[in-house]
Amino acid sequence: MKISIKHRISYGEADRLIERYYDGLTTVEEEKRLHRFLAQSGLPERYQPEQAIFGYFEKKKRKPVFRIQLYIRWASAAAAVAVVAFSVQRFTAGKYSDYAYVNGVKITNVNEVKSQALASISDVTTDNNEVEKSFENLNDNELMQQQLDVFSGLGE
Amino acid sequence: MKSMNKYLVLLLITGFGVFPGLKAQSDLQISKVFDQYGERKGVVMVELTDEMLDGYDFSLFKSITIKDNTAAGEFIRKCLAKDEIGAKKVKQVVANGVPTSIYLQLPRKEQLYRLILFNETFRPEHKITLIYIESENDSEDVLKLILKKK
Repeated sequence: MKISIKHRISYGEADRLIERYYDGLTTVEEEKRLHRFLAQSGLPERYQPEQAIFGYFEKKKRKPVFRIQLYIRWASAAAAVAVVAFSVQRFTAGKYSDYAYVNGVKITNVNEVKSQALASISDVTTDNNEVEKSFENLNDNELMQQQLDVFSGLGE
Repeated sequence: MKSMNKYLVLLLITGFGVFPGLKAQSDLQISKVFDQYGERKGVVMVELTDEMLDGYDFSLFKSITIKDNTAAGEFIRKCLAKDEIGAKKVKQVVANGVPTSIYLQLPRKEQLYRLILFNETFRPEHKITLIYIESENDSEDVLKLILKKK
């Protein structure tokens, strides 16, 4: 009596259900009852094979846990690849990304590349001379006088 | 499908790890100038990364010099017109209604100060120079240094 309360079904009933299970005759409801019975602890050793079978199926049903482990594995792999790629990029950036193209021909000699870079800086700042010259022109008294003379001639 | 997503995540992580330097300039229209004209004849294109250049400390230095190509000049001006939106125009010289020299201070991107320098000369020869600079130093200081050392 005590056994039937604890296990919900008696050992005899369990044995019958197991036999029907192996014969492929159990209903869904009967399998649920058998599962509940086998999920208990402290059962006699003779139920261990069935517990292993149902335990196996139980583990297979735990998909979310399996998925999380899989994602962790993927995330670890991705992180490792990212770290390696980042390291490679950091160590190689200074060495291999300095280049120049002169008339379509690639140059990787750093000194030559730097020389071309300095030349371009020089090119872009040469125009400042023109700006300074125009400022000088503004302060040129002679030029201003000439321009004023043009206007003074209009009044006559 | 799920495995495809995983590959995509992996690819994205790798991509962001490897190409962070390419991103800062790719949002600008002038990147098209380097792509289109960089390897042509009559053109000199330079790219330097994390280099000291005669006292200048640049994270990225890109320049292109194009000779005898007025169409390129027009194209660059159109690109600059778009890139100067939101940028501070430090200098502009206009000759006959056409901008021939432009210095732009672009908004900072993360920690980097960014500058665009453009100049077009017609004598003794027609020459266009476009420079793009990224630096951790203040762009005003970089500009002062460049102009001081000319």
